[in-house]
Amino acid sequence: MSVKSYLKPQSVTDALIMAKTHANYLYFAGGTDIQVYLKQQLIKPDHIIDLSDIGELQNIASNDENISIGSMTTLDAISKNNSIYKDFPLIVEAAQSIGTPVIRKTATVGGNILVNNRCNFYNQSFGWRQAIGSCLRDVGDLCQVTKTSGKCFSRNVSDLAAALFCLDAKVIISNQNEGLELSIVDLYNQDGIDFHKHLDHDGILTKIILPIDAGSTWFKKLRIRNTLDFSSLTIAAKVYDNRNFRIGLNGVSMSPVLITGNLDMIDLEGIKSLARKSCKTVDNDMMPLKYRREMIDVYLDQWWVSIQK
Amino acid sequence: MIKVTLNINDFDRTLLVEPDENLLYTLRERLLLTGTKKGCDQASCGTCTVLMDKKPILSCITPTLRCEGKSIHTIESVAKNGKLHPIQDQLVKHGGLQCGFCTPGFVMTSIEFLEENKNPTESEIKEALSGNLCRCTGYKKIIEAVKAASEDMK
Amino acid sequence: MSGPIGKRTPYIEAVQKVTGQAQFAEDFHFSNMLYVKFLRSPHTHAKIQNINLSKAKKLAGVCAISIGRDLPIPFGVLPISPDETAMAVNKVRYIGEIVAAVAAESEKIAHEACSLIEVDYEPIRDFLEPDDSLIDCSPDEQIHSHSKNGTNVHKVAELYFNDPKKAIQNSDISCTRTFKFAGVTHGFTEPHATVAQWNDDETLKVITATQVPHYLQKYLSKVLEIPLHKIRVIKPVVGGGFGGKSDPFPHEIITSYLSIKTHRPVKCVFTREEVFISNHGRHPTKMTLSVGADKQGKITGLDTDIVIDGGSYGSFGVVTSYYNGVLLQGPYRINEFGFTTTRTYTNKPQCGAMRGHGAVNPRYAMEVIIDELSHSLKMDPCDFREKNFLPANTLTVGQLRITSNGVLDCLKAVREKSAWDERYGNMPDGRGLGIACGFFISGSALPINWNRYPQTVVHTKLDFDGRVVIFSGASDIGQGSDTMLVQITAEELGITMDRVQVEVADTKLTPVDLGSYSSRVTFMVGNAAKSSSIKLRDELIKTISKEKNIKPESIQFENNRIFTEDKSLNMSWDEGVEICLAGRGSIVTMGYYISPQLGGKFKGSGAGLSPSYSFGAFISEVSVDKKTGAVKVEKVWGAHDCGKALNPLAVEGQIEGSIHMGLGQAISEELVYENGQFLNSNFIDYKIPSTLDTPDMDVTIIESDDKEGPYGAKEAGEGPIHPVLPAIGNAIFDAVRVRMYELPITPDKVLRAIKEKI
Repeated sequence: MSVKSYLKPQSVTDALIMAKTHANYLYFAGGTDIQVYLKQQLIKPDHIIDLSDIGELQNIASNDENISIGSMTTLDAISKNNSIYKDFPLIVEAAQSIGTPVIRKTATVGGNILVNNRCNFYNQSFGWRQAIGSCLRDVGDLCQVTKTSGKCFSRNVSDLAAALFCLDAKVIISNQNEGLELSIVDLYNQDGIDFHKHLDHDGILTKIILPIDAGSTWFKKLRIRNTLDFSSLTIAAKVYDNRNFRIGLNGVSMSPVLITGNLDMIDLEGIKSLARKSCKTVDNDMMPLKYRREMIDVYLDQWWVSIQK
Repeated sequence: MIKVTLNINDFDRTLLVEPDENLLYTLRERLLLTGTKKGCDQASCGTCTVLMDKKPILSCITPTLRCEGKSIHTIESVAKNGKLHPIQDQLVKHGGLQCGFCTPGFVMTSIEFLEENKNPTESEIKEALSGNLCRCTGYKKIIEAVKAASEDMK
Repeated sequence: MSGPIGKRTPYIEAVQKVTGQAQFAEDFHFSNMLYVKFLRSPHTHAKIQNINLSKAKKLAGVCAISIGRDLPIPFGVLPISPDETAMAVNKVRYIGEIVAAVAAESEKIAHEACSLIEVDYEPIRDFLEPDDSLIDCSPDEQIHSHSKNGTNVHKVAELYFNDPKKAIQNSDISCTRTFKFAGVTHGFTEPHATVAQWNDDETLKVITATQVPHYLQKYLSKVLEIPLHKIRVIKPVVGGGFGGKSDPFPHEIITSYLSIKTHRPVKCVFTREEVFISNHGRHPTKMTLSVGADKQGKITGLDTDIVIDGGSYGSFGVVTSYYNGVLLQGPYRINEFGFTTTRTYTNKPQCGAMRGHGAVNPRYAMEVIIDELSHSLKMDPCDFREKNFLPANTLTVGQLRITSNGVLDCLKAVREKSAWDERYGNMPDGRGLGIACGFFISGSALPINWNRYPQTVVHTKLDFDGRVVIFSGASDIGQGSDTMLVQITAEELGITMDRVQVEVADTKLTPVDLGSYSSRVTFMVGNAAKSSSIKLRDELIKTISKEKNIKPESIQFENNRIFTEDKSLNMSWDEGVEICLAGRGSIVTMGYYISPQLGGKFKGSGAGLSPSYSFGAFISEVSVDKKTGAVKVEKVWGAHDCGKALNPLAVEGQIEGSIHMGLGQAISEELVYENGQFLNSNFIDYKIPSTLDTPDMDVTIIESDDKEGPYGAKEAGEGPIHPVLPAIGNAIFDAVRVRMYELPITPDKVLRAIKEKI
């Protein structure tokens, strides 16, 4: 169970070399969430590659068309960045809804985008999982939520992802090949176990690029307390000047969910229906399933009211 | 085990640590700096808060090896020559502590907050302290103490 | 009062707490120390067929392993239900029960060794819900063989006075409701920790996070079969208890045993998950409560049937069972009164005592029903309550002796401060006010163990250096009892607090105190400390008056001086000390407290007896989002009658802390069970309110001056939690016209209730 080495690359190139030469490694961003996985023996890497010393991953740069955010920028830092605050208040709102103020000084943008999926029956200690009989994402062969085999419905809980979905963000990934640029939407799989795509060949999410584009945004996160809690439902939405809209939903399915359209083409009921169809929500959160589903509708209602003004 | 030099409370300390060791363990078990508390060991209570390069971090989830080359300050370094920091002084005067277990964490979180925010409002204080759990006080007297400390620091 | 009594006094140990110097149990390090980890049961209910230790024993660094049969003697905090052993013997009764313990050179090794222990289990039918435990089962299936009539019922507590059923039936109006309460837990920030050291002179020293060093000493002696006089239990600084550290615990016994076995110091620190598993929190409860009233709003009778889910062991459960009923005898006059409480064993972590012990859930039910009755009668709920208050100096129907009673002043205070009369019923849709009252014991008049000793003894020592040292077994767990002792002693001797020091909660050095539970410390230990310091003062008076030839009654003590009004005597404290100790040296005085004889002569009459009772009235203001069901508690006005606030700063702290904890149980905290284990044994999913979730608070202290309390004081640590929950529930009704019969009042339940109403 013990980690053999802790590596601190100074550049992305360094990190990729280390990844190539160390089998069973784990990239560490802020580590605020993944550390708990280590303690609970949910993951057992032999080597940790800590990306926090890599300066090039901590830059925020902007021009007239877009802002690029280094993946290792802390959530605290983006909340305090003037250009982000001016052009992307939605990002600030989403970032400030994550963790606690102290956690946000360590937790990173990239870490949140790639946060591990959660499930009540998985995010538990080793002893707990043993007593329940382990789930299929762990060493078992049965989903403990649905009591069936074959599919895991763990939830993606990235609040930033919901926001970035509706901002039509791009992400840059460096890997052992040439690297790639893709829409953030393409980063996720509707799969509770294999929930990220395009990170093979030791891929590192290095940058997030946000196109500057006018429009009105809306954000809401469902949770019991006003701090610390992971999302039970996050909805971020943006309406562009041409009445196109993008809605990002998260916390209610194996990946963030995107709904797009034009307000002249679809009504609220149509949007709700799309949302219901797109979310594979199961009872794996502290908030009851029925309630979380109801809240999707309620939040969309509230968003709808907000855009009528 | 890996040899590492850490600057803790303004002194360099060279010691051997495990690759996956966290700073809380290093402080408490290797350096016997037991003022930093282990309340949950899962980043959800704030009792283990220390300062790294003057910013609060949760030591229970901070890899010790990440701290090389950084300065770490723990609760033991806050009072200088027996003189309490204003937040410590005001927590005492306002009754902003009962059992005292969460107190070092509140002190460390508040120190940076008060440096960054010279005129905090009540809602800013509540926000800043929202990751520190206290089960005894209901927070009221802690919030009052932080406000009073901000006055003292002017 | 010229001294510190009644003045806002920071805790004497506060500076140590803000600087990190305060030493909690987990902060003690000894050379050559070993660490303990536990192997815990993965089964709810199973026979242990075989335990194979051979692989674990071979692991380098493992020093000792023990299993259930090493420590088979049963114990339990109540001598009437010693149903627990240090580790499972022959069978396990819940997931998480300790099956084996390893002492090793490091925590890591101990942990690894636990994973190498092989245990064969044979599962038995488990009982996870109280309803299952009420029905007959085969003897083999019983969780405990001693439970009644072939079921898994642990205790049935019932008391009936007159004929409440008939009285309610014949009432002008009545209200019967069924309530459900989820289990909640203490959530103290310091996990359990113990360091044990077996010494070469065959004495045992145990430094442990406990509220009850005396009881632990007793049960260590019983289970380890070591004479009491060889056991020294030390309570260091304790990081909160709230009842969760008021039992002798298996880990304390096992850690001690492993120290004896290895002749080395042994340390045990729980993970947060282990703290949850250990639980001893408030019982999940289901109760049906009926209350009747006449047209004028006088309560005519109360009848209730309660089932509490005890989990796998007894703990304080017998007391909890009684407290669920008997503590409904106040603050209202109810002459037709009865209750039945059934405590069941289930295959889950055990429940026990938690702040407001036994009375918090029934109080919610009672205050909600009173609100409903007031509405039926179109009477202001404050007026309704006022009509029914017990007076001071009376007996309840079950012969609880009420002495001081400030409940009416409490009600008046919050009613005025919240502008209740103008605002109640007149607030915008979605916003509301709610009122509730409270009532609690100020120390249990009967000790847990029947004996002829006082409930507490305090020694006060004076020596040549002018310092006064108080020796008391009282356990400060953050409530401020050390400070209280110093205040009282400084007050009586007219000296400044810096001259008074405490030596506390060390069973070798300090006389017995029963512990920090049942809100007994200020009342009982305060009286003992006062009595002891008066004796010391008398000793000073006697010697000084003799030497200076001054009338004893003219000698006064103030500001570190001893003097007469006319200044014919005017000396410093140190001069007085020299006279007092001349020819004999250091002296020690003692004071003690024994409760007066109280109560009736019927079976169960002892439950709820207290030398005094606290009272309170709280109003809360909430806003409810009708679309999401989310409740935000905006403000709480709390007035609590503590007799006399010896330290207003500490009393306010207790009331504010109670509001926070009550809020948690009311709207967010809940232990969620999944097949016998907690789904949320961590601080992320067990929702203790943060700074951002805690409302504004306005605290009023009411001083009814109790005749028997020290300077008139009675409790403030537990009573204030009771009204908090129903004040919130009733405010939700005022805001959105739905009654919440189930706690916690999470948004989904509120929304469901709103939808059902439409």
